[in-house]
Amino acid sequence: MEDFILLRALEAVKTQVKMFGRWVVLSLVLLHLVLCNEEKTGDSPNVYEPSWVFKCVVDEGCQRSNSPQPATNASGLVFESLEVCRTVCGRFGGLWPRPVTAALSTQTVQIHPNYLRYDLIDVPVEAREMVVQMTHVASGNLVDECDGNVTELVDTRVVVYITVKTANTDLTWDTDEQYMLDVQTKDGSVAVHIVAETVYGARHGLETFTQLVAPNKPPFSDNYKCSLRLVSGAKIRDRPVYKHRGLVLDTSRNFIPIDDIRRTIDGMAASKMNVFHWHVTDSHSFPFESTRVPQFTRYGAYSPYEIYTAEEVRELINYAKVRGVRVVVEIDAPAHSGNGWQWGKEYGFGDLAVCVNAKEWRRLCIQPPCGQLNPANPEMYRVLRDLYRDIAEALPKPALFHMGGDEVFFGCWNASEEITSYMKEKGYDTTVEGFIKLWAEFHQKALEIWDEEMIAAGTVNPQPVMLWSSELTQAHRISKYLNKERYVIEVWEPISSPLLTQLLRLGFRVVSVPKDIWYLDHGFWGTTKYSNWRRMYSHMLPREPNVLGGEVAMWSEYVDAQALDTRVWPRAAAVAERLWADPAPGAAAAEPRLQRHRLRLAARGLRSDVLSPAWCAQHDSHCL
Amino acid sequence: MKSWGESLGRGASAHFSRVGWLRRALLLLAAAACTAAALLYWRQQLDDRAHRPLHNLGIEPQWTWICRNERCERLPASESTILQSLPTCNMLCASTQLWPQPTGPVSLATAAVPVRADGISLKVTASPSREVTEHLNDAFALMRDDIKSLEKTADGKRRSDIGSPRDILVRVAVNGSADVRLRLDTDESYKLSIRPNGYTLVADITAHSFCGARHGFETLSQLIWLDPYASSLLALEAASVEDAPRFHYRGLLLDTARNYFPVPELLRTIDAMGACKLNTFHWHASDSQSFPLRLNSAPQLAQHGAYGPGAIYTPDDIRAIVRRARLRGIRVLIEIDAPAHVGRAWAWGPAAGLGHLAHCIEVEPWSAFCGEPPCGQLNPRNPHVYDLLERVYTEIIQLTGVDDIFHIGGDEVSERCWTQHFNDTDPMDLWLDFTNRAMLALNRANGGKLPELTLLWSSRLTRSPYLERLDRKHIGIQVWGASRWPESRAVLDAGFRSIISHVDAWYLDCGFGSWRDSSDGHCGPYRSWQQIYEHRPWTEEAPAAATGAEPWRVEGGAACQWTEQLAAGGLDARVWPRAAALAERLWADRAEGAAADVYLRLDTQRARLLARGVRPAPLWPRWCSHNPHACL
Repeated sequence: MEDFILLRALEAVKTQVKMFGRWVVLSLVLLHLVLCNEEKTGDSPNVYEPSWVFKCVVDEGCQRSNSPQPATNASGLVFESLEVCRTVCGRFGGLWPRPVTAALSTQTVQIHPNYLRYDLIDVPVEAREMVVQMTHVASGNLVDECDGNVTELVDTRVVVYITVKTANTDLTWDTDEQYMLDVQTKDGSVAVHIVAETVYGARHGLETFTQLVAPNKPPFSDNYKCSLRLVSGAKIRDRPVYKHRGLVLDTSRNFIPIDDIRRTIDGMAASKMNVFHWHVTDSHSFPFESTRVPQFTRYGAYSPYEIYTAEEVRELINYAKVRGVRVVVEIDAPAHSGNGWQWGKEYGFGDLAVCVNAKEWRRLCIQPPCGQLNPANPEMYRVLRDLYRDIAEALPKPALFHMGGDEVFFGCWNASEEITSYMKEKGYDTTVEGFIKLWAEFHQKALEIWDEEMIAAGTVNPQPVMLWSSELTQAHRISKYLNKERYVIEVWEPISSPLLTQLLRLGFRVVSVPKDIWYLDHGFWGTTKYSNWRRMYSHMLPREPNVLGGEVAMWSEYVDAQALDTRVWPRAAAVAERLWADPAPGAAAAEPRLQRHRLRLAARGLRSDVLSPAWCAQHDSHCL
Repeated sequence: MKSWGESLGRGASAHFSRVGWLRRALLLLAAAACTAAALLYWRQQLDDRAHRPLHNLGIEPQWTWICRNERCERLPASESTILQSLPTCNMLCASTQLWPQPTGPVSLATAAVPVRADGISLKVTASPSREVTEHLNDAFALMRDDIKSLEKTADGKRRSDIGSPRDILVRVAVNGSADVRLRLDTDESYKLSIRPNGYTLVADITAHSFCGARHGFETLSQLIWLDPYASSLLALEAASVEDAPRFHYRGLLLDTARNYFPVPELLRTIDAMGACKLNTFHWHASDSQSFPLRLNSAPQLAQHGAYGPGAIYTPDDIRAIVRRARLRGIRVLIEIDAPAHVGRAWAWGPAAGLGHLAHCIEVEPWSAFCGEPPCGQLNPRNPHVYDLLERVYTEIIQLTGVDDIFHIGGDEVSERCWTQHFNDTDPMDLWLDFTNRAMLALNRANGGKLPELTLLWSSRLTRSPYLERLDRKHIGIQVWGASRWPESRAVLDAGFRSIISHVDAWYLDCGFGSWRDSSDGHCGPYRSWQQIYEHRPWTEEAPAAATGAEPWRVEGGAACQWTEQLAAGGLDARVWPRAAALAERLWADRAEGAAADVYLRLDTQRARLLARGVRPAPLWPRWCSHNPHACL
């Protein structure tokens, strides 16, 4: 069994496609080196190479020093590699997010993935396949620390013993994500013990294990040599503070290719975020394939290449699950719907949506293109049902679905005679309150449809759904229209707004996305202000059981695949630590660890922004 | 309803061209059959509420764009008899898609012909020197590579029914400068005309310099685009463009000291600059944080100042960058900032027996001795400093080949740092003295004469009463202060030649908050491309008669990308397309602001940059690109 797993792990590492490219690069580099060596024979070695070492200084962190001696441990902790220095320096080393408690040795031991194996004897059979996949991810992440090639081989045996107590692999708000991690080095071999209640706790343990490893290679090295060093002793106890740690990604304003979404999920997993809130549609485009309603993409996608096929969606959901991330699909409705819904007339269904792509958009919506579902048209609900059924079938059970529900523009509905006469029929005035009634009716019907489709898809108990805060969720209205057992409200009001507290008082569960702090698109349009990671990090949420957690939001009006990584990272990671560990608000103390995490994300292929000039990264605490 | 099969027959060959023809034919048949069946089925079963597929057609959209009222409108292909892609519609509809907009007369055909990258050839019909001829050939090869990379973005097979591709013969005549370098007096104007001649398109480019001819190549390449439906390059059948820039200094500053950028990032940045006809790569190579240039004249600087052995630009790297830039019509202006903004790179003096080359290196608390950590300032009293500067300047001039313009830095001197060490002298006098001695070093480095224009950053030294003591004949000032600051204006009113880099308009690093806990040291909000585009400070010159001021001598401007919060990976999206907005402001300086056609053309330019491997941020949601003018 153990050998089998070892083989599987090796195979996974080897079969990574990127490895091939890296081998080619490596062989070119080697060839180049050989040629250069030939050219240079006889020359004296260049004495003008910069060569730095890094010292771990108490209360300061890692400091660059131009000590000419090779690294020795005579005068304290001196390292050639800044990354290794960070991994052992300070109470929490290079871990991100910070665990609840950690005791780390300052010693490290060199390891190689070839001699790493996983022992899953204490994992329930039902969960084993999933844990095997999780170990593959961990091994891949280790190899990535050396850019795909750990050149320095050692035969130190590393065995990771994983214990998972329950067989259930559902990922919900009730999932127990805690874990214990112990590392012991004895007689030249390393035993790592990860004990968790669930597979997801075990995954977090594996993630933390990989974060105890650093590439032993100087920063800005011009050398292909790379070895891995693991903290030789560690005792970590860890659990999250908030159960909902999310990132909203909008793929409608601009399309984000599936590979970029996968990479984003890699970054989330590295930061122990657990909810990928996929704002997959909006009035701009509808890239999500519905097998039952192919018109959505045919009339809504930007091009044949800007579609998420049902197959890709299924794969993504699984990809995320193996990384401890739950995919929450949002179909925003009844507003923020347009392209993708404009074919009704042609097919004899009437208008499924109104104001779609209307000219003079300022009259009919808040941003172009306009579009709002037509609640007067029963055919709209029928089409919505087909879409919901596709989603209910795709999401892992028990599914969490986001029904959107923000920014309904009454002027649009008011401009449709069909809708105003429907309202008359129902006895709704064409006043704000009348439109609110119509809006609430939409949500009531939509939820009924969702519940029915969930039952059809095999879920027994009604599941809560998410909804954005809006006019409808104002404190004086919400209880009249929305059931607090069924709706979890995602509050995107600015921090000055009382709504979050009011909803908590009314007994609603909430997820907080304060737009003036945690919106990643702010600062690039209008009068919005950019929040850097320090500001995002310093914002704290109320600690109440009904505050499920928070999300950062990447709206994509001004972002596509080109700019995605640098807008999202490392800022999303700052919020990830806030939600996982909720430490004291000061960002300065966290900065050295986030510097390490930024390079970790870079090693995993994310083009994360820098926090500071590289000089500051090489001189902790000297740029305050 | 229109028959789907009919539109499929017209458009699907492009649409489905990535599958084989057999599969295509089968799909076509199947699709037509299914449409008919589904439609019939639907008409009969409208009342049926049972779950079943609505339709058996594909999930893929197909849009067509029609030019109506000088705008391209998006329609489902089934609603039109014409299948036309967005790029083709944009190229053939109303406004030009050129960036920057030419300043002379432009007339463009509204018909396109298929072409291919391999069918483009060059004939140099007149050239003042062999060097110019060689550079024309190499610059042409680069342009053809750009067109090839565009051609490669096609993902299907060429549609055969669009006709066989024409060849393009590019005939270039340069009558004028034999120097291939961009000089302060280089005439960058060019004329381009394209016309069909038999089965060939003949593109004639005439210019007075290599750089002008190169701009002609660039404009020619902008009249060639990829039609995704035909999977073929298309070119306008005829065109005539006369063009010359409004300003002859059009720069982009990149700071490679706060964070290091690998050579390919710099090359790509230079390529993108060339695509926008920017002509000065202002390379802020060193600062107090690091010194990444390995210079043979002073290898100690990189040894003590680089972040690591892989964070270095070797002389070969610099030569490669200069070479690429030259072919793109760009000068590389390397700035070694002095006397402030120096650091550990200069710390080796005592050990080498040269005494202290710099003071205050990495002193704490830094806030007392410099504007941002770490501190450091050259020692103005140590003659070895000037010897070193002379050697460094000599090597820079030799590596870049730029000897008519030079940048000696000169901003943000900490008077307190010097006062600590030289309490007998007014630090401002020290600063003036340093500047004069650095100029002497530069004079020697440049073979006994000063470059025509030596640039200094605006600073306290460029304010009265020190401004009056600067050599107006040789010194030019790069004004980074805000456009509303009186001292920014005073420099212009004093008649100094100036490069505008107003922090409130053209600083690309602003808007990302403070990267330190203790300070609010950021420069306000992000500068949008519209703000960058609409900034025209030279229009605010008061009539000389009213003020008695000298006429303004604005040489041009530069956008500044400082990199405290930017490193490789994020570079493109931070700089582009905003630097392109500056490029058009400085090239064309049209009176109107960011009008509708500017959005449209800049969006097209962004697509060009993407095809060349640059990663620019988007202007807006893709829907707005698909529906020109609809988002304004």
